Amino acid sequence: MTNTFYIGKSQEVYDAIVVGSGITGGWAAKELCEKGLKTLLVERGRKVEHRKDYIGEGVKPWEMPFRGQIEKSVVDEQYHIQQQNYAFNDATKHFYANDRDFPYHTPENKPFSWIRGNQLGGKSLLWHRQSYRWSDLDFNANMVDGHGVDWPLRYKDLENWYSYVEEFVGISGSVENIPVLPDSKYLPPFEFNAVEKVLKGRIEKKYRDRKLIMGRCAHLTKPGPQHTALGRVQCMARNECQKGCSFGAYFSTQSATLPAALKTGNLSIATNAIVHSVIYDDKTNRATGVRVIDAETLETREYFGKLVFLCASTLGTTQVMLNSVSEAFPTGIANSSGVLGHYLMDHLYGAGATGIVEGYEDEYYSGRRPTGLYMPRFKNVLRKDADFLRGYAFFGSAQRETWGDLSHRDGIGAEYKETIRSAGRWNFGLHGSGEMLPRFENKVSLHPTLKDKWGMPQLHIECEYSENDKKMREDMAETAAEILESIGLKEIYKYVRDDWPPGLSIHEMGTARMGRDPKTSVLNGYNQAHDVPNLFVTDGASMSSCAWQNPSLTYMALTARACDYAVQQLKLGKI
Amino acid sequence: MNKQTVSPLASGIDRRTAIKQLALACGLALSARSLSLLADSFSIPTDVSRRSQTALNPQQLALVRQLGEIIIPTTDTPGAIAAGVHDFINHQLAYCYSEDERIQILDCLARIQSVAQTRHERDFLACEAEQQISLLRDMEAARNEFDASDRQAFKQFKALVALGYYTSEIGASQELAYAPVPGGYRPIKFSEIGKAWALN
Repeated sequence: MTNTFYIGKSQEVYDAIVVGSGITGGWAAKELCEKGLKTLLVERGRKVEHRKDYIGEGVKPWEMPFRGQIEKSVVDEQYHIQQQNYAFNDATKHFYANDRDFPYHTPENKPFSWIRGNQLGGKSLLWHRQSYRWSDLDFNANMVDGHGVDWPLRYKDLENWYSYVEEFVGISGSVENIPVLPDSKYLPPFEFNAVEKVLKGRIEKKYRDRKLIMGRCAHLTKPGPQHTALGRVQCMARNECQKGCSFGAYFSTQSATLPAALKTGNLSIATNAIVHSVIYDDKTNRATGVRVIDAETLETREYFGKLVFLCASTLGTTQVMLNSVSEAFPTGIANSSGVLGHYLMDHLYGAGATGIVEGYEDEYYSGRRPTGLYMPRFKNVLRKDADFLRGYAFFGSAQRETWGDLSHRDGIGAEYKETIRSAGRWNFGLHGSGEMLPRFENKVSLHPTLKDKWGMPQLHIECEYSENDKKMREDMAETAAEILESIGLKEIYKYVRDDWPPGLSIHEMGTARMGRDPKTSVLNGYNQAHDVPNLFVTDGASMSSCAWQNPSLTYMALTARACDYAVQQLKLGKI
Repeated sequence: MNKQTVSPLASGIDRRTAIKQLALACGLALSARSLSLLADSFSIPTDVSRRSQTALNPQQLALVRQLGEIIIPTTDTPGAIAAGVHDFINHQLAYCYSEDERIQILDCLARIQSVAQTRHERDFLACEAEQQISLLRDMEAARNEFDASDRQAFKQFKALVALGYYTSEIGASQELAYAPVPGGYRPIKFSEIGKAWALN
């Protein structure tokens, strides 16, 4: 790989500037480059090269100094927030933001876990890869119950864009004809194991409104020519994705959008470039570029472009916008509505139930499937049948107890060793993923005095679950336990974790929302700022509600659609 | 994916060759450059520079060594001593444990010694094998001299032994089934592999 596309200072006026290189930034870069725009991708973190910089990949457990664990002093001083994430370990920690260097502020009694990946590729290297379409149940939700503003688009507006991005990404899954979870053209689904097949049968016989399907995920189970052309290889079922994948088997910026964008010859990249603010020209009412702080030298410089796409992650983008003040926009660029920073949401996780499945000791599996099973939303679908608004899905899977589980059993000696070697009992769980209501009170703002080491004002994050959110989490646990009991599981354990603050589901959304009315929203239905026509926001900040499905696929579809619209408008001379 | 490709990297064959076989098994024509990039990404040196400190004195280390072997003995595969579990624990306690957690483990060791002295008037390591085993079984069962907090302490120590053993090369690849690159996911009969997987 040559490095000529990496730039430092530049006086060039690019056709487009994309801030952030994660899932949406990668997509924006690819789409804009492929449409012929000279595009500059600005990334606050370091360069991460596909394969070469996956330093934790393929390292054997016994080759790691602490077998995957990390020195306590390092965790305490540098990763006290990031370590809450399930995938954080010695082989992945370099893809997480260092909490000491990237401080933020929360009120004493309202914790918020901000999990960040500040490097080229962003959190596309770390994501969980679950990929589900939303339906009109979701796009209608705000209009129906009056929470949040009405989405300025519907499923039909996104349908073809979903297909477009899915084709390129490669989504493994099965066609199911479930109205609340529209289908696509999928790569082959991963297989159910023997116990999962049995439990699926029992659940679907017992509950006619519920289906247990194979999780749809951005993994190449059977690569197409569009994937192999980028050097992407079939998934090897290691399920160690967050270490980086040299097979390029899961979708990331590095494996997919970045090589596609580079192929055009139109892409330039500036890394270690922390965007301080968007430059705004009040004479033309246009964004003209971005001011950046060099992460290493602390020097400031400017980049110029005709279009500006903010894809810096929900809170990253919002921080930049709030910090972009001018006479016209004293509280942040494109914030004439005053809603910028408000309506922060995250998914409701950390509640569900698990149980033991007796028998099946002769059944096992080979490989580590990088997805689980999925039970799409079934509450409040055809009628309101719960004491809360909106709904949730369940994730789950059946597996045998591992050596880690079995090591807690009583016993010592040859017998203990044999117990562990023989593999344990089967267990199965259902874990909720619920929709959090958009609420004005859940908000981020710039801290009046605290700054980070680059001089950027720290974010002050104030977010907590509402009564509706709490009721839904309780219901997830109750309902999961009820299902497990009804299909004959034993030793059922029901849980609602109180150590799951907002943010930890890493689906933060909504702080620069789309809407029909410029008085109550920041962006229109094309992710275009109502106030500044050449400014687009296509990451999670743009979401008017959060639905119950994982959001990344919808971000991708929105980004591709916004790029198409922006380039049309640019060519028409309208922006 | 045929069965041959289940764990090509497990046998210690040249990694580049393994990657090439994998690519072929998947029907992929990778360029020489892609292959070498893939192979390079699989050769990471062991980093032991991060663990120069230790937590145990020679007596404690000797005790941990023996306790590990009692908990996970040599059978048809090597046990905890051969897997170096005591050395692992010596570093792990120094680096990955809080002061409180470290003291708990050291107290657990002291408790074992003190009961050995009361019962048999000698050091635990000087006790007969049956005496050692019965002491530990009592401790785990919280009976005789031991109470619930002793049981808890022993459980924690045992989990640390298990971590050290099953993440060691011996524990992962000899005692259990080790497949760093499984090649795909499929249901199988337990008898096809005959033992539990090391990586889950």
